[in-house]
Amino acid sequence: MEFLKINHLKVYYPIRGGFFRRVNDYVRAVDDISFELRSGETYGLVGESGCGKTTTGRTVIGLIKATAGEILLEGKDIAKLSSREFSRYRRDIQMIFQDPYSSLNPKKRVLDIIAEPLRNFERLSPQEEKRKVQYFVEKVGLHADSIYKYPHEFSGGQRQRIGIARALTLNPKLIIADEPVSALDVSVQAQVLNFMKEIQKEFQLTYLFISHDLGIIRHMCDRIGIMYRGQFVEEGTSEEIFNNPQHIYTKRLISAIPNADPQKRKEQLALRKQVEEEYTNSFHQYFNHDGKAYRLKRISETHSVAIL
Amino acid sequence: MKTELNHSQQTEIQIEKSPSSLSILWREVVKDKLALVSMILLALILLVVYGSAIFLDQEKIVKVDLLSIYAPPSSEHWLGTDYGGRDIFGQLIIGARNSFTIGLAITLISCLIGLIVGLVAGYYGGVIDNIIMRVIDFILVLPFLMLVIVFVAIVPKYNVFTFILIMSAFLWTGKARLIRAKTLAERELDYVSASKTLGTPDWKIISREILPNLSSIIIVNLTLNLAGNIGIESGLSYLGFGLPESTPSLGTLVSYATNPDVLQNKWWVWLPASLLILVMMLCINFIGQALKRAADARQRLG
Repeated sequence: MEFLKINHLKVYYPIRGGFFRRVNDYVRAVDDISFELRSGETYGLVGESGCGKTTTGRTVIGLIKATAGEILLEGKDIAKLSSREFSRYRRDIQMIFQDPYSSLNPKKRVLDIIAEPLRNFERLSPQEEKRKVQYFVEKVGLHADSIYKYPHEFSGGQRQRIGIARALTLNPKLIIADEPVSALDVSVQAQVLNFMKEIQKEFQLTYLFISHDLGIIRHMCDRIGIMYRGQFVEEGTSEEIFNNPQHIYTKRLISAIPNADPQKRKEQLALRKQVEEEYTNSFHQYFNHDGKAYRLKRISETHSVAIL
Repeated sequence: MKTELNHSQQTEIQIEKSPSSLSILWREVVKDKLALVSMILLALILLVVYGSAIFLDQEKIVKVDLLSIYAPPSSEHWLGTDYGGRDIFGQLIIGARNSFTIGLAITLISCLIGLIVGLVAGYYGGVIDNIIMRVIDFILVLPFLMLVIVFVAIVPKYNVFTFILIMSAFLWTGKARLIRAKTLAERELDYVSASKTLGTPDWKIISREILPNLSSIIIVNLTLNLAGNIGIESGLSYLGFGLPESTPSLGTLVSYATNPDVLQNKWWVWLPASLLILVMMLCINFIGQALKRAADARQRLG
């Protein structure tokens, strides 16, 4: 059985207007997507900004209510639970936020920030609590003394590690990482990503990794779903997506990865031109007249593409 | 030894790097000479007023003494007497105490109500916010002064306490609006989402996460409102709808100046009270301005 299964998830926002603010239309932020996560793997959600990947992540953790669809965590539908019933599953799902600056309360010490989930779910004496917080702080590579400092005394990378430590304290099974490194500079990105891989092994975590950076996705993920305008256009293992992309949107994304080798500049340019040509010529093979993708079609055991 | 050195260095850095919001406020007030002088002056006034009010007997002061009507300042009556032969200095001290206590109580009560309502409206948003804001809009469009006068007239047991309640019932709305606006901005930040995903209950998010981040704004608003509320109390008493004459108030003393004879020839009746109101409100305002600057990092002096 899959660890997390998402069936026909939809998140619509109403557009109101006219008399009595009637609902005229919907913004289809997430429009009928289905995918599943196996225990211990890293699943990547990729797409341009505004394609609904963050909305998907926030819906899974319950910050946004799903309009329709199921979110099955170990077989139990958590999408329709009330917030009180949901709290039992809170411990299993945690989130790492995109912005390490706004995701830590500036008025609280690191100790209070990391101990917050412990105070909600476990009754620990102050000594035990402090020891546990110190354990996780050292786990994420910070000095044990830093629990008495405030967030603004840390660099961006360190702050993100504090965010990760906070997410780890309840021993969750699933961590939703919403662009965890996009606010950090490149040298720190690698550091944080490798660290996330390490703790994945150590704590047997499953990641739902949301990013727009294909390089990072390739480095981190076992399987990848490509999103476009609230829908999946392609889904498959990392190799399948990067070595054998089928959908024109995936091809365009991959051809846009910059190549550091100046010798291959001409090849890269030719590839981009070719993809661009294919895009203009065969647009209707991939998108319907509304510019939406078609339904996913399975082309191998693990690989699905949205084509006619 | 090395570790010792390291440790002391770290604590030093810690102290230096994380100034609490209170110490920022304090530093700003000290840096601004005008605010510092205002604060010392205000502290002195309050000390004298509250200190000497303990030794004064209100009953004795408000007792009519027909033999010394409108006596000019003398060694017996430091600031003379009014039309009932009552000692002005005693009335001034007790009046200042009453006015300040009332102003403070109104400020605190209206702040508390406004804070709770504003936080709830801003945090939950949607329908709750809509309902609360419409109620506030309704209260705001009512003619405040007229309604207070009506209430004062119809309340059966009218005293200091009911006066505070009537005023607070109208004055919390502005505060609620301010707090709501700030909360709306604050709740969109990720640390609130983070708290939700960590399973923190709503009331705890409101009181432990959002409230501390609004603290400086609350302190600033509190101070500036305090000056205004002392003024409102004095103003209403001046109009004759504040405290009864048996309870001395700064506004009552000033209102004696409506008599042209008093205004022209008996300055000792109304001038000290007017000056005291002026000085107190100016002092509080100057302190408030300094605190306001402290709340915004771009405007700070120190």
